[in-house]
Amino acid sequence: MQSANTLLKKLVRSSVLPFAAQHGMKKHFFPLIRTLSLSLHLKQDNSCNPSEKLDLDAWKKVMKSGLQETVRETVSEYKEDSTLAGAYELLEMWRLAGRLVPENISEEQLKNFMECPSKSAKKKYLKFLYLKELNKKNDRRKMEEKRERRLEAQEPTPKPAESRKSSFVCLWASCMDKAYNWRVAQSMIFGQPLVFDMSYEKDMSFREVTNAVKQMVLSEGINRRSVDPFHIHFCNLKDGSLYQKEFIKHYREAWDKLLITVTDQCYTEVFPKDKLIYLTADSPKVMKTFDHDKIYIVGSMVDKSIKTGVSLARAKRLGLETAALPLDKYLLWNTGAKNLTLDQMMHILLTLKDTGDWKKALEFVPKRKSCGFVSKPVHELKKSLNLLNTLKLGKRQGEVGRQFAKNYSKKLTQK
Amino acid sequence: IQPPEKPLQAEEWNRLRESFRSPEKFEEVMFNSMIKCNSPIDVAKSLLTHMAKSNSDITYNLLLKYLRLCVQQGQTSEISDVYDIMKTRFKILESGAYNLCIRGLSNSDQWRRALTLLEEVKKVMIPSRTNYESCIKAAGHHQEINLAFELYHEMLNKDLVPTLDVLHALFDFSRGMKGAELQKELFGILLYLRENQIYPHKRFMQSIKLWFESIPGGNWRGHLTSIKDSGQCPVCNYQLEDSDLTEEEYNHLRERIIKDVIHGTDTFRKTSPQEFEAFQAFVENRLPFDIVIDGLNVSHIKPRRMQCENLFHAINCLAKENGRLLVLGRKHMLVNSSNWKRGIMKEMQSKADFFFAENISEDDAFLLYATLRSGKHCKFVTRDFLRDHKACLSDSLTRHLFRKWQRGHQIVLLIYCIKSKKMFFLVFIQQAAFRYDCVVQTTGDTWHIPYKDIFEEKYSYQVPRKWLCLRQK
Repeated sequence: MQSANTLLKKLVRSSVLPFAAQHGMKKHFFPLIRTLSLSLHLKQDNSCNPSEKLDLDAWKKVMKSGLQETVRETVSEYKEDSTLAGAYELLEMWRLAGRLVPENISEEQLKNFMECPSKSAKKKYLKFLYLKELNKKNDRRKMEEKRERRLEAQEPTPKPAESRKSSFVCLWASCMDKAYNWRVAQSMIFGQPLVFDMSYEKDMSFREVTNAVKQMVLSEGINRRSVDPFHIHFCNLKDGSLYQKEFIKHYREAWDKLLITVTDQCYTEVFPKDKLIYLTADSPKVMKTFDHDKIYIVGSMVDKSIKTGVSLARAKRLGLETAALPLDKYLLWNTGAKNLTLDQMMHILLTLKDTGDWKKALEFVPKRKSCGFVSKPVHELKKSLNLLNTLKLGKRQGEVGRQFAKNYSKKLTQK
Repeated sequence: IQPPEKPLQAEEWNRLRESFRSPEKFEEVMFNSMIKCNSPIDVAKSLLTHMAKSNSDITYNLLLKYLRLCVQQGQTSEISDVYDIMKTRFKILESGAYNLCIRGLSNSDQWRRALTLLEEVKKVMIPSRTNYESCIKAAGHHQEINLAFELYHEMLNKDLVPTLDVLHALFDFSRGMKGAELQKELFGILLYLRENQIYPHKRFMQSIKLWFESIPGGNWRGHLTSIKDSGQCPVCNYQLEDSDLTEEEYNHLRERIIKDVIHGTDTFRKTSPQEFEAFQAFVENRLPFDIVIDGLNVSHIKPRRMQCENLFHAINCLAKENGRLLVLGRKHMLVNSSNWKRGIMKEMQSKADFFFAENISEDDAFLLYATLRSGKHCKFVTRDFLRDHKACLSDSLTRHLFRKWQRGHQIVLLIYCIKSKKMFFLVFIQQAAFRYDCVVQTTGDTWHIPYKDIFEEKYSYQVPRKWLCLRQK
């Protein structure tokens, strides 16, 4: 009996009960009963200060007494433009709320953001900026770490390397560049032309154009480093077009010294029509061999929304021959669209030109898109792929198909 | 991690925090799990207090999470407290906080504050449709039906699509109320359903029915029924509107098909100008057709059989009852091959008109053009849903017209194998096109409203079979 009394006393003194008594709310009663035994256990833990009470609303006072959070100073920059400032404030709040929003945003980006036509477009654009910023930050951090490591490594003074002798002259990057340029210059006189068709600006969004230009810059680099480069032609490149602006952004002064032919003419005006072959994934004809006398045209277009038949339409209009890569003949296709990036195309064409070996050339098709090369007849492989898929997905895929068929026929019989 | 069941002291929070893998994220993770477990807000409060004392600040992010917990449990006074704190602490709030506050307050007796919050949101951005939904429902619950409709119209003016829930709620709130103005508003909602080809679900339909029957002095009676194939309502013998388009709609659709589907951004993508002109001339010379057949689609109807045989059967079957047939195909069908026998092709060509497009052209676009050009009586045969062509149409109004026209004019061939005494008979069953139009319709003293049995209808091509028939005695 006595022990029970002391227990009760302890309980009253413990933290939770007084609070409940204070508020006297009925709904708090049930959880309390449950916690009684628990609080006893807790009691033993913090017996040092039994008199402390928990004021659950204390945080409100603290928060209310705090100063108003000022949105960062940058707002004042936009003071003359109230809508921009408003958008900026909104972004700040979204960032505080933990959404994917970049920390710093330029005025141009802010304007782009406000011009986005829908909420989801805005969200997407912000996420894009956020990830870009994150990548940049990570790169900078890695670079700094690298520098630190280098500094640490250098501390013991390096031994003089005079004693080393080599019969080869060390080739530095500038020497390599000279050698490459020499080769490309040669190809501009004797090499096989390769045309990039730059007439797709209307069919692409801004992002797609920048991506296309990036891919073309990559392909130009790949071509320059190859043993036997193509003579690259940029056809239909209008002065002042978005393409050109983006190119200049990438190359700066080097744009005028680039060893390629840039023209605003169409390829049909530059080359004889019967020699041209337009490469497009939509073509009904499949390329069998690489022809060294033909001039291949690659459409410099990135289409994220898969607009079928756009480049085929160009070739049809001009009455050109078309061809597609024999992807299905050599690869067991798995996922993804059959259109490849421009730099992948460049790798493939260069390899074909040098070796004529399809297997070697199609190594450059992304590995995720195919299940490997075809060694057995295609239909057999497809069967095993189907089996694999059904195993992987369980029965579900088949079931969905069947369900659909059932529903459809039901609808029809109901009519 | 499991949130504690009761408020903890500062040291206890500290201890928990230390034992957590990454202490810097502890509060966030803890709040998330509190929301998930719906733990009592006192626990959350004690954590907030602990944080306020140790950092003298609580981040916006965590306040937002606390607000979510309060909304989840309907703690109205806390919601308004947090809102006040946010207001004093930050210059403006973002959409997430407003959404939560509006949702939380509209369910309480402080619902008018939700309306002022809505006004505040409007200054910064366009409120979301769920914001309006909460406010409209709140107004309706408190018998402010005019206010509810005011908000509803405001929402429509901002091009927001109301949720079915809002429309449903408006019918629920107006049950048993008087007033010609109110009646007009609700008829307006029904016409909105008609124009946008929305079908109410079963519970919504019940609420419409109850509202009609509750109109004082209206003498409305509702019956659930299903419509016969002839398009006649079995309850009141009303003949439903037929699925024909008006002359104007028909011409509009035809023009848009030519402009958007056939030409699109580039005529060469689907055909070529020469080919299209040749086809137009071909069609003009032989008008009108009764049935246009997608030859290649029909020829694949039974995969184990020769493709030209399939087509041959289909043509024979259709030619019996109908006058002039047009079959669209591609040039490769003319080349003698294992699937396309020249003899059978010859025989077919004597029974129907054939047009062969280039192998890389799209024959579906021609199918649509030929059918529309032949006139309203003309039907077409394909199993294709024609979704990609519908998607080419630029505005939703034309897409609706296309759907309606497709429902009324597409014939789908089905094949049934009848197995008897080692013999296989192939029977083509013609699935007749719909004769009546499946939308909400009225004659003034009757309403016919199609409704869905299930809450969510998965396929857009499915049309409800069940109807609500309302008539005035």
